[in-house]
Amino acid sequence: MLAVRPGVPQPEDTVQFRVSMEMTKVDIKNYLEKIYNVPVAAVRTRIQYGANNKKNHKNQRVKKPDYKVAYVQLGKGQTFQFPNLFPEKEQDEEARSFDDFRKKYLEKEQQIQKGDPRRGGVPDWFGL
Amino acid sequence: MRRPCAVLPGGPRRASREGRSLRFPAALCWGARRLEGCPGHVAPGAQPRRAAPAPRPCPAPRRCEMAAPGGCRLLRLGRRWFSQEPAVPPPPGPLYPPVVASHTARSKAARRRRLEHFHRQVHEAASIEEKLRLYGKLQRPKYTVHPQTFALNADRWYRSFTRTVFVPGLPPPAEAAEEPGPAAGAAPDADLDLGALRSLACDALLQESFYQNKRRPFLYRDQDHTPGPFLTQLVSSLAASLCGRNPLLAASSLDLNPEVNYYWHHGEEVVVHGHRKGRVDPVRFQIDDKPHLQLRVPKQLPEIVPLESDLGDVPVIDHKPSKLPLFKKQYENKVFIGSKVADPCCYGHTQFHLIPDKLKRERFEIANLEDQIEVVYRANGVASLFAWTAAQAMYQGFWNEADVTRPFVSQAVVTDGKYFAFFCFQLNTLALTVETVKNNPRKNICWGTDSKPLYDVVEEGSVKGFNDEVLLQLVRFLLNRPKEL
Repeated sequence: MLAVRPGVPQPEDTVQFRVSMEMTKVDIKNYLEKIYNVPVAAVRTRIQYGANNKKNHKNQRVKKPDYKVAYVQLGKGQTFQFPNLFPEKEQDEEARSFDDFRKKYLEKEQQIQKGDPRRGGVPDWFGL
Repeated sequence: MRRPCAVLPGGPRRASREGRSLRFPAALCWGARRLEGCPGHVAPGAQPRRAAPAPRPCPAPRRCEMAAPGGCRLLRLGRRWFSQEPAVPPPPGPLYPPVVASHTARSKAARRRRLEHFHRQVHEAASIEEKLRLYGKLQRPKYTVHPQTFALNADRWYRSFTRTVFVPGLPPPAEAAEEPGPAAGAAPDADLDLGALRSLACDALLQESFYQNKRRPFLYRDQDHTPGPFLTQLVSSLAASLCGRNPLLAASSLDLNPEVNYYWHHGEEVVVHGHRKGRVDPVRFQIDDKPHLQLRVPKQLPEIVPLESDLGDVPVIDHKPSKLPLFKKQYENKVFIGSKVADPCCYGHTQFHLIPDKLKRERFEIANLEDQIEVVYRANGVASLFAWTAAQAMYQGFWNEADVTRPFVSQAVVTDGKYFAFFCFQLNTLALTVETVKNNPRKNICWGTDSKPLYDVVEEGSVKGFNDEVLLQLVRFLLNRPKEL
């Protein structure tokens, strides 16, 4: 049982899980209610077929595994929003100044690559 | 063999430009061979062959620059090549057809033109049947909306699909509002013989559940076993006894297990799979409802509030309807009120719905979903009444491009045999498509109550805890009639 971020936007009371192929809707409902104390109003499941089109270096078909997806609607008016697992981190003073320094260095390198601005983009080897 | 040669009738021979001596009209040449020395011969495709009439002076001797030699000669043979009649004045109006977008191109202008053509076709349809046929001609996958559904919070979704505002409680009776005198307000209720009506209801209930010996019901057929026949008996006997007080009931038609269908568009989506992938399509819905009983009348019920009233907000749901869950299927786009268009009883009065076994109260209580019990009643009321009133409006010729000019009102009673919930629906607008809903301030309104029990229990030949309020509300529903009657 793995809670996943839905690929398509789901209503607020719906949580999406990837579960084992042998689990049923009743199993999922009991699991969540008894182990995690989550009130479950309805469960719908489907089996996602894993494609068998890719080929490896030996030209054999490689199958992606099938998995079961469960959409659980929470009861008692509860809602769930999948959290952002990789938020933007607050940079401290040292990291920020190092970033600025690195940015300036890279800009200077790019300027040198371009060449003398007075030549208007004409390459160095062009001339008498 | 000598080739045929025609001597030109009349007129002296004129010297041709090439100076040949033999004049040979092209009409007498045969074969495609070019005949040498034949100035009059022209290749068959170059000029149409005509018989040579009396010769005339060539009207434009130096102007005809034809490829074939002697071609001018043919013209000089008298054929007119410009009209010599007096000039006709040009016809009034534009000379050229109107400049419009293409009909078949893959462009937005072409799509708009095709839509306008379709709208014009439906507007100009000769009869209502033709209009309905054209409206539902194109079949595409559509969401089937079931009024009786186990989906959670279905009534909120259904209200967003049908642009309906839900007002808890029933509207105040119109007579009490208009005539504030106490005698006038109490008159309709005071004359009722509540005892007789109560005995009718109790008789029906006892007959079905106590006196009649029935076998045990089959699995999931409980509702057809007792509450179904009880409801039919109750409504028919009450309607028959109240005919004297309400002449509309005498002219009404009571349908048993009728069918009510409605098809409409609301919102837009992008097609995901298939050969039409990427196109923007309207979202199509279809309701196929089978109420237990239905009363249809020849005159329409009066409006409860004015057409443009705003009594609340319509819930807006951004998600696709398939998240409800709602499923798509493609089949006939039917619009039907329970009888065909020619039937005189074309307006709706009251519908009676029976909750099926899968949606009984006990099942929700076992599953800890008490709050969803009322949702079932509300969703049933909103969806069924919207379908019925909208189909009635379509029977009168209105559709989403020609919005209703008067509100359509109908009532419904949703019950599971013991608990009764009453609903009242006023259809103010049919315009739910993307273009028509943009500037449409009107909303449909649904009033509804919570479910209340009619009785507590039936034991040993008597009904315990009979609730007169519910019976009174049912009787008031049946006595509802337009003001003229």
